[in-house]
Amino acid sequence: MSPVIDNAAREHVYDLTSDTATQPTDEMFDLMKTASRGDDVFTADDDSNDLEAFMANMLGQEAALFCTSGTQSNQIGLRTLLNQPPHSVLCDARAHIFVHECGGLSYHSQASVTPVMPKKGLYLTAEDVEANINKDTLTGAVTRVVALENTLNGTIMPIEEIRRIRAVCDKHGLYLHLDGARLWNASAATGVSMSEYGKLFDSISVCLSKGAGAPIGSIIASTKDRIRHARHLRKLMGGGWRQAGFLAKIARHCIETAVPTMPETHKLATRLANHLQSLGIRLVLPCHTNMLFIDTAPTGLTVEDFAVELKKKNIKITATPGSTISRVVLHYQVTPEVIEQFMDVATSVVKLHGKPVNTTSMETDVKEDNGNSTIEPLTAAYPSGKN
Amino acid sequence: MLVRRSIARSFSTSSATRLYIQNNLNNDQTHPSLQTNPGAKVYDFRSDTVTAPTDEMFEIMKAASRGDDVFQEDRSVKELEEYVANLCGHEAALFCASGTMTNQLGLRTHLSNPPHSVVCDARSHVFLWEAGGIAFHSRASVSPVICRNGIHVTAEEIEGNLIEADIHTAPTRVVSLENTLSGLVMPIDEIRKISELARSRGLAMHLDGARLWNAHMQSGVPMHEYGAQFDSMSLCLSKGVGAPVGSILVGNHGFIDRARHLRKLFGGGWRQVGPLAAVAKHCIEHVVPTMPETHKLAKYLADQLTSLGVQLQVPVHTNMVLIDTTSVGLDVQKDLIPTLLSKNIVIGGQRNKSRIVLHHQVDRKGVDTLIEGVREAIATHQANEPSEPPAQQQAIASAY
Repeated sequence: MSPVIDNAAREHVYDLTSDTATQPTDEMFDLMKTASRGDDVFTADDDSNDLEAFMANMLGQEAALFCTSGTQSNQIGLRTLLNQPPHSVLCDARAHIFVHECGGLSYHSQASVTPVMPKKGLYLTAEDVEANINKDTLTGAVTRVVALENTLNGTIMPIEEIRRIRAVCDKHGLYLHLDGARLWNASAATGVSMSEYGKLFDSISVCLSKGAGAPIGSIIASTKDRIRHARHLRKLMGGGWRQAGFLAKIARHCIETAVPTMPETHKLATRLANHLQSLGIRLVLPCHTNMLFIDTAPTGLTVEDFAVELKKKNIKITATPGSTISRVVLHYQVTPEVIEQFMDVATSVVKLHGKPVNTTSMETDVKEDNGNSTIEPLTAAYPSGKN
Repeated sequence: MLVRRSIARSFSTSSATRLYIQNNLNNDQTHPSLQTNPGAKVYDFRSDTVTAPTDEMFEIMKAASRGDDVFQEDRSVKELEEYVANLCGHEAALFCASGTMTNQLGLRTHLSNPPHSVVCDARSHVFLWEAGGIAFHSRASVSPVICRNGIHVTAEEIEGNLIEADIHTAPTRVVSLENTLSGLVMPIDEIRKISELARSRGLAMHLDGARLWNAHMQSGVPMHEYGAQFDSMSLCLSKGVGAPVGSILVGNHGFIDRARHLRKLFGGGWRQVGPLAAVAKHCIEHVVPTMPETHKLAKYLADQLTSLGVQLQVPVHTNMVLIDTTSVGLDVQKDLIPTLLSKNIVIGGQRNKSRIVLHHQVDRKGVDTLIEGVREAIATHQANEPSEPPAQQQAIASAY
């Protein structure tokens, strides 16, 4: 993929703060002209309807709805499962739906949240879930929905564990929702198909505007009845847009062109991760897909020390003043050349300013599967709530 | 400060059987395709939301900036927001996905502390057509006012329906007006009176100005003059203005900052929307000036239809013609819609009422075809039925 040129005639900046930074390309605007121009509020737009049918099929669900954002598709999906308070949602304490959706669960569904820190490692287990189900119908907000996120902080939840959690939900009569904003990445990394994941859930939210590359939009998929309700809710939330066909068309185009390149993006991320580790930089979480969480502390430097030099090469990373922790996110518009530059800059920064680190005797703190390492607070990696 | 006062309030005692329009719009996803002649151009008169993007618009989109609007990093969006804010004499603006969103965000940002309520015209979009948004988003009650003159609410009617704080009540917090409403222009003088009243009582003034552009072009009142009467205005870009997607909310800086946060909560935090903003600005500059022609065409349509014996529910001020077919004995669904569909004309409506909406992409030919279709439908009906006595003229000054 050739780099995208910002047509304000400035030099292009490679934004590695999030994969939401994927930008529309010139070809996409040409493609837009061929899209349908019907009114989507009246369900009269062919390309919107086609995208929805395509995604429903891909996710092993009956129907789907094209929404303006991942926040909207998550909150609408959850709302269709949360019909009668008092009720609550059980999720990972780091979940986007809980931490970065402006309190949407309380607001849209009047639902409490049971935020659970995974006991041993990267992802919630069936045991974590079962131990935290609330059944108190006298004074409690009973658990109605278990919500998972895959990938979460770029890490993958194994399908086997999802199946075990599904069994727990079935046993206790609970719904299972997936925030699959980056499910594409999980699928690309594991080889598990989108529909194999999809079939395990009662509702699934999948983002189109992150790594998948579309400028706008997200999908919620579920049963026909729930999606009918979701369409009504979408109007209520102000997501009833009109001639959205051109957005649907390019989303479809992106799924077909950007998503297949994810394995290469993941390889680049691993390459970068390995190199940074060789300099003494520590990985806070394993790099499973397109994200790195780095801790520069062992080198005696802060993230800003790197960010300042990277900026000179037009590479932007998240840098909270004084912090040594940062999240680096790759996507298909970040080229191998950019990563080479990143690695070169990092090498020279450590060489010039960093304290020497003996990387051969350094224990990696990162366990690939559920070892006994604790998850560190990652708030410093999200300075302004970037997702 | 709970004071018991007896206030003369005009309750609805109208004998009209249906106060609120219900189109019973179907949410069913298996939307039936229209039985029109394929290949020929279809004229959809149901709404001005159907204005479609043009090839030229996609070129404009290509040239726009591609930054992330959640982080307010997009130049084209900033340009649109500054442009509209200045036009309206307000400090700031927020570009959103729909008029429902900008209306509900505007109201929600004013309504911070229940119990509270909104007073508005009983026909208001914010009350009838936003999926119960005022109740859902703001937990507010609504005092719907049926206006006696059938055109617009008056300051007296608003005052008569204000709810004071009392142990039992949800006191009025916001006065929400709509201009145009059913295509009708609300006079600036009345708006000023209501604004003075609201401000003297510490109430916020919100405008559903989805079609304020039409009011402005018709009345000659500058946008900022309307703007001065309101604390917030919602202006649609995807209706007569012609953009494919979007609406814009104006207010002061603090208000728009809070609205922006709420926009994220609503799921309206969209990413690379520079192209949509650039197209919207282009449309404001190029399409709004064509509105007087559209209004003339609507007047022409109205004159032709009345000469056929069809009546108007309300006068034609801008781009809408609201017809009543009682006097020509037509049922809209049974007698009118099928005839028009065969001519590739789509209208909405039920029983004897229909709302016909024009916009800049409707030409004289389409309007003439519509007129011809109505003429045909009347002739067919008269041929099939014996002549009927003229319908009772009812002086219903209220809703449709």
